[in-house]
Amino acid sequence: MMKLAAFRIRNFRSIVDTGWQSISPDNITCLIGQNESGKTSVLEGLKVFYTGLISEDVLRSDLSLPEVSCRFTIPEGWLLKVTDNPGTELKELLGGLTHIELTRAWIADLSSVIVVSGEISQYLDSLEDAWRLYLNDVTIKLQQEINQINELENTRADLIKTESDLRAKIAENEPGWRGLRFFCKKPSESIAAQSPGLKNQLNETRKRKEEISNDLLTRQAMKKTGESWKRLKEKYDLLNDHLAELSVKLEERHQKMTLLMRPIDDDDDLEWKEILQDYRKTRSERDQVNADLDRHIAMSGYIMDGSNEEDAAFSVNEIIQSYKSEYNSEILGKKYFEFCPVFELFEDFGSLLPNRIDMEDIITGNEKVEGYKAARNFLSIAQLDYSFFQQPSSRILKQKIENLNQSLTHNFQDFWQQSIGRNNKINIQFELDHYSAAYGDKAGKPYLEFWIKDQGERLYPKQRSRGVRWFLSFYMELKASANVNKQMVLLVDEPGVSLHARAQEDVLKVFDDIKDKIQVIYTTHSPHLVEINKLHRVLALQRDDLDSLRSTTRILDPLSLSAASPDTLSPLQSILGNPMAGEGFSNKKFNLVINNTGSFYILNAIIHLMGFKGKISVIPSTGVSNIPLLCNILMGWGLDFAVILFDNENEIKIGELLKGSLYKTDSDNREMILKMKDGVHDSEDLLSTLDFKNFILKSREGITVSNSEFVREHEMPRNFLFSRFLSDVKAGLIKIQDFDEESTENFRMVIGMFKVLK
Amino acid sequence: MGNKEQNSPEIDSLINTDRLDDHLASLRYAEIIQRALMPDPELLKSVFSDHFVLFLPRDIVSGDFYYVLRNSSFLCVAAGDCTGHGVPGALLSILGISFLNDILQLRSDMKANRVLNMMREKIMKALHQTGDKAETKDSIDIGLVIIDCNTGAIQFSGANRPLIRVRNGEIAEFKPDKMTIGLDPLKEHPFTNQQIDSLAGDTFYLFSDGYSDQFGELTDKTFKHKHLKAVISSVAGLPLINQKEILESTFHEWKGNTQQIDDILVLGFQL
Repeated sequence: MMKLAAFRIRNFRSIVDTGWQSISPDNITCLIGQNESGKTSVLEGLKVFYTGLISEDVLRSDLSLPEVSCRFTIPEGWLLKVTDNPGTELKELLGGLTHIELTRAWIADLSSVIVVSGEISQYLDSLEDAWRLYLNDVTIKLQQEINQINELENTRADLIKTESDLRAKIAENEPGWRGLRFFCKKPSESIAAQSPGLKNQLNETRKRKEEISNDLLTRQAMKKTGESWKRLKEKYDLLNDHLAELSVKLEERHQKMTLLMRPIDDDDDLEWKEILQDYRKTRSERDQVNADLDRHIAMSGYIMDGSNEEDAAFSVNEIIQSYKSEYNSEILGKKYFEFCPVFELFEDFGSLLPNRIDMEDIITGNEKVEGYKAARNFLSIAQLDYSFFQQPSSRILKQKIENLNQSLTHNFQDFWQQSIGRNNKINIQFELDHYSAAYGDKAGKPYLEFWIKDQGERLYPKQRSRGVRWFLSFYMELKASANVNKQMVLLVDEPGVSLHARAQEDVLKVFDDIKDKIQVIYTTHSPHLVEINKLHRVLALQRDDLDSLRSTTRILDPLSLSAASPDTLSPLQSILGNPMAGEGFSNKKFNLVINNTGSFYILNAIIHLMGFKGKISVIPSTGVSNIPLLCNILMGWGLDFAVILFDNENEIKIGELLKGSLYKTDSDNREMILKMKDGVHDSEDLLSTLDFKNFILKSREGITVSNSEFVREHEMPRNFLFSRFLSDVKAGLIKIQDFDEESTENFRMVIGMFKVLK
Repeated sequence: MGNKEQNSPEIDSLINTDRLDDHLASLRYAEIIQRALMPDPELLKSVFSDHFVLFLPRDIVSGDFYYVLRNSSFLCVAAGDCTGHGVPGALLSILGISFLNDILQLRSDMKANRVLNMMREKIMKALHQTGDKAETKDSIDIGLVIIDCNTGAIQFSGANRPLIRVRNGEIAEFKPDKMTIGLDPLKEHPFTNQQIDSLAGDTFYLFSDGYSDQFGELTDKTFKHKHLKAVISSVAGLPLINQKEILESTFHEWKGNTQQIDDILVLGFQL
């Protein structure tokens, strides 16, 4: 249901940011590039997107943490089916989406979270932002409220003191023995006169104090909530500070590892383990305190408005519902990830069938053992688990193994025949055996041994040709993936390395055979694993600075291939130098030399469109200046050939050169240089501007110069555009009747030129 | 600050009149430039055995234009009608004339439809029309004829504007492609080329849609294309100068006191 459409990898080995790179729409994507360009890193990046497991050696020296995003296409409305009770707005958004983005991001302890990104997270983030704004508002008010309470408390304390002072003064002025007042002398006039004033002051003070006390009484709940907020805030700050300290420690360790350029063995490092545990625990606690803090702030808002705690708690639940979706990016990320295709990496060390593997390694899932994945696949296909090998009767076990060997052999032969048309009678066998006493610690332990039999000869997988071993292992990978019952993205690193050219082409056949069910992304250096008619499948990788392994990886999509270095494009250039199978130098056809690969596509498209049946093989030169060399080779081989030259300065000069040298030797005095008419500067000028726009550029922009000039001025990927045009023509998507009379007139002229060739 | 309020109505009127005069003077000058870009009467006389041009701009400058170019290989005649009228139409007409000059200088064996194809590319590029987003929809309708000076063969290609030929009183209409020179709402298609058979005495007419789209004073209907054809048919055989007079008087009678709604161009010629 979810189909990988594009990926983006950040901060992973030599990659800083690949930008979004689209997967080929026909499900086979090919990564080319020199050694160390970052091809395998892309595959590994995609693999860890799925597994989440990385080691420190993938970190970049600046210690920025990796992030891998994948964009998947989905049927419209599908998200609604897998998302329970989204709110109205989220429902509307999910209902209209035909793609989804998931991002896995790693944190300092190298654990990771998968979140939904893109449009969905933008929506969720907008809710989160609104929630934060609300909380900030409330926090400001809360702080003001607390300040006011503090001020009131201070004032009340001052008033209490004043009251006490006044009381004392009044007491001093008034004799303690009241009953004797009538018998004694009246107090002096001045002192007596002060008493009423002091009393008034005392009354005022008391009154003010009572007012403030009453005010503070109404703010009791607020005071309480403010105190709790302070406590939570202090706790949060402490945890955050601690987390920052731990992060520094983690970074120091990552730094150390990066400098050493090798992983550090974690198992014996207790201090490290403690730090890691502490980090995870602190992070979890901090997040919890943060959530409590948010909730507490929200509740304070209601208490400030006069609600009691119970009502405030109820209101907070409501407001959280309105500001925050039931879902966040992480929850939805986890949910959608359940439907994500399985990303499986197929590479020679782990995936090629080994000669032998210990049962213990299979059971413990020891991926560091050679051939582990192949053995695991084998058991998956045979639907065996460990209990099978505990069969008490060795005779029954032997019989069962024999049956499995037969069915596996039969199925593989079918695949071998159907996918690549080979008919070898290869037999696959596996056996369960136990180590002898000579193996020391391993003595008595069970292991599986694999054999490949061909015409009676029984050999270990490693003794067989790499081709058979690769195809057998790949077949097992495919069969095992069928048992998973999920979509699959198969990441294949250097398929068929050191295979014969024909066997490499067989690899492509297998990819084509499975592409409707399994998306394949593979890396290669081999020209035999790149189809020249399908350059849309190619992503080229190279370092920003070609001479420095410290520089970052850059990915060039099919439309930007012209910007890649010659070394990066070497697989393509190799093919361009060796024309497509069946269309190369021929002693049965007339060889027609033309200036470059772009023209090779255009001329072949014209031949196809016009239904020309003449025996012509178009040979592209690698540039105009190499035409004489190509002619020399053809002459040296004694092959019939002619040269087509377009109306441009370079080709006119080459025409003169050829006339003056090579063709002097032509005893038959044939016209071997065919000149295009004026104004056809290169092959694309054979199409009218309108047809060129409609069928090659697929755009409507006005073009006021010749097509070739336009391509040159805009530095367009000529080979890519023209190869796509040829593919469309061959697929019948563009027919001769679709062209206007200007193009068809030119096509007729070209075919007319061919017809005069002997 | 209060000066403006203190101005007398006479002064205000004077200021506004001055401004108006400035604009009018500019427009008059623009008209002179636009006319200068169109073929002068001497050229027309030299390339046609007889001809007339009924050119009635709605405003001072016009969105309609006519075009004649002769070189040693061919004679090109065209009548164009740019979207709108007045200044915007005139600006576009100048682009159109300029582009025709560029294109027709390229080669000696030019085909009429290819001229229009190339002209469309130039207009789309000049107006940044890519079909991607809401862009200017301005365009030019045009009827274009190329006469081979050596063979006398006539090609016609039309962008929404037809060619009419009158031979011995009989009228023949050569339909245009239903496309304009500019961005098509859906997709651009190539213009078609028509070979036009010609005999001595044949009269050809190229025209904009202003004449047929004019509303009449006595009715709320337009003059219509078929009535224009009828008028042309009825004046066939008359000297072309007389045909122009009748066409012009017919137009004014039909229009009466109503407003002219668009520029009027009718170009009649004999080879």
